Amino acid sequence: MSTGSVEVVYRGIFQKTLAKNICRGIVFAARKEGKIGTAFGRYGDSPERNGIPAKQFAVVSDTEEELEEHLAKYEPVNNDVTIAADDALCKGIESWAWYGLQPINKLLGDGGTLLVTSIQSPNKLIKTIHRKGTPYNLAIVKAQASFSGLWAYKDDHTDVRLLGALAKVAPHIVSLDAMLEAIRDQWNDDLKVAAAKRAYEATESTPVGVDQGNDEVPFSFDLPGWTKMEEGLVIRGMDAKPQDVPGRDGGYVPTRNEVFKKFSTRTMRPVINFDTCTKCTLCWLNCPDTCFDITPDGFYDANMEACCGCGVCEAVCPVKDCVTMVNEEAFEDNDSQWEMWTKDKEGYLAWLTKNITERPARSHGYHHVGQYAEEIADGTA
Amino acid sequence: MLDENTDRNQESFEDYLSTQVLDPWKGPKKVPAEEYYTSGHRTCQGCESAQLMKLMAKAGGPRSIILGSTGCMYVANTTYYSTPWAVPWMHTQLGSAGSSAVGTAAGLRAMMRKGKMAKEPINVIAVCGDGGGADMGLSAISAALQHTQYNLLILMYDNESYANTDIQVSGSSPWGANSTFSPPGSARRIMNRRWKKNTAAMLAAGHPDCKYVATVNTAYPVDTMNMVRKALTIGGPTFIHSLDPCPKGWDYDPMYSHELGELAVETGIWPLYEVEEGKLKMCGKSRRIVSGQFKRKPVREYLTRQGRFAHFIDEDFDYFQAKIDDMWEKWLIPGVIPFAEA
Repeated sequence: MSTGSVEVVYRGIFQKTLAKNICRGIVFAARKEGKIGTAFGRYGDSPERNGIPAKQFAVVSDTEEELEEHLAKYEPVNNDVTIAADDALCKGIESWAWYGLQPINKLLGDGGTLLVTSIQSPNKLIKTIHRKGTPYNLAIVKAQASFSGLWAYKDDHTDVRLLGALAKVAPHIVSLDAMLEAIRDQWNDDLKVAAAKRAYEATESTPVGVDQGNDEVPFSFDLPGWTKMEEGLVIRGMDAKPQDVPGRDGGYVPTRNEVFKKFSTRTMRPVINFDTCTKCTLCWLNCPDTCFDITPDGFYDANMEACCGCGVCEAVCPVKDCVTMVNEEAFEDNDSQWEMWTKDKEGYLAWLTKNITERPARSHGYHHVGQYAEEIADGTA
Repeated sequence: MLDENTDRNQESFEDYLSTQVLDPWKGPKKVPAEEYYTSGHRTCQGCESAQLMKLMAKAGGPRSIILGSTGCMYVANTTYYSTPWAVPWMHTQLGSAGSSAVGTAAGLRAMMRKGKMAKEPINVIAVCGDGGGADMGLSAISAALQHTQYNLLILMYDNESYANTDIQVSGSSPWGANSTFSPPGSARRIMNRRWKKNTAAMLAAGHPDCKYVATVNTAYPVDTMNMVRKALTIGGPTFIHSLDPCPKGWDYDPMYSHELGELAVETGIWPLYEVEEGKLKMCGKSRRIVSGQFKRKPVREYLTRQGRFAHFIDEDFDYFQAKIDDMWEKWLIPGVIPFAEA
């Protein structure tokens, strides 16, 4: 008599189909072993938005009663496994609904496993993950984040590789044999079965202790009770006056929504070369998220608490290599680039040059017809 | 009651018809820093409709009231007790952008007439998506454009599907586009066989008293803001239709949001024009397309960048191109009026 639950944390829209494939795969495999299960998305994540972290779950039980007990929840807690198909999610997730920043391991049970696709080493990845009061395991499937798409789906086998790895880290939920059988049933593809099996063999777990990880306290806020809400569904507007930033005389830093910051949506961030910037205003003017602060000396500084990493600033910048999108894994904080530059221009240039020349491959969704076929063929996926 | 009626007789409608005079901004460096739609909305990465809201709020300035009918720009901007709006905003039902705009303008006038608030011109801007505007709210918008005694702007952000509720087809969805309601399959490749509704021109042609109808695109932010400012200054009921690239519904890398807006204009798919006091003027690159100074790019460049057209084969591209060619070569007024003399 037991129940197992798996949480899949994913990038809204980009990885919706991928998350669905994983959760369905778990349930189908469990059925092969005579268990029953169900897969569902978290209501609060709908309507999904590109890049904003969302969740789907798979719950597997021996009996219908146990399954129903688990389904009477908004989101299952104490999960056996949390899967993240993008390692940038390890920095914490601010979902569409009302949460603040959740550590990626928050809903993981004692001794559970966090299963992540990443090309980073476990030690480097653990540093970005918030500390947890109970020990857990980190398992890595070596892969780039797969932004496999909603309709035009890039079948780079990330789905079955994660399913194979899951059978390794949580055999009590589903065995490898059942998983391979379910994969064969669903896709009828020997390559996918082989990929799952290889991932099963290659996956190793690293134990993570209570004293390991990022010790920063993630931002949170108090939910207003009904007595604090105003009549007629009134929401207080933003202040039209700019923020008063200590030490900054002049410039313009807009007041920003304190309870939805959106930066955990980001998988890449703009890095700005202030030495070549011509102050043309285009990044600032075209940013849908109003993330650029105007500095006292008239530069535009992308505020990393507000930037969601869409890349429009890079696209509109008329100067070559002035704005460059760099994978989020290169950064440990959300500090102001302009302040860094004003303090030490040479040091900043060295930091910038390193980031834009050594940047890992980036992926951010659909670009053109045939792109996914090309990526899979040349193995860059 | 008697006093009120007396007042009404003494003051005519014209006393309340003045508008804010919002001069155009000459270039991006003249655009002020103040933001009235700021960070922290729950939209997609690269959301051009959010960009449109930012530009519209900036263009209208602090003395504006925004009305939002249901759609992404309602759900993403006020859900869970927080908002990026720094100007007053009110939600209204899906099809009622037009009626809420008339009601708000009339309410403001009544309050001013009764001395309950200071007499001043306040911008009333109602925002609706293509679902709320071109489909459900079309009759209410038509009615609003007939209410020439009120100053109001209806701004339609058209991302060519019901993207908020997960991408159902709308009257504004382009021919052949994949959506939740028009998925391509092996039996039928093209499921949405309707050509996109020509909303702005329909409203301009159908409402001769409406003083300003325009089409805009956020890839040209200064022009977009200046057209909003012109609509608000010119007075009476006005309408602006914006084409907003949507990374969710169109299925592309969000970094292409700006580029796709430009391509929509450069391929001729999205003509930019304004109809001001009965005079049509093509704007920006569309003007140069008509005059022959700019050669339209092939529509394939625009279509192949979007996953919603990933199922297109050569004959689909050819069909799409032929329809766009007709639009510029055979229409009575190129890019605007879609029929020719018999």
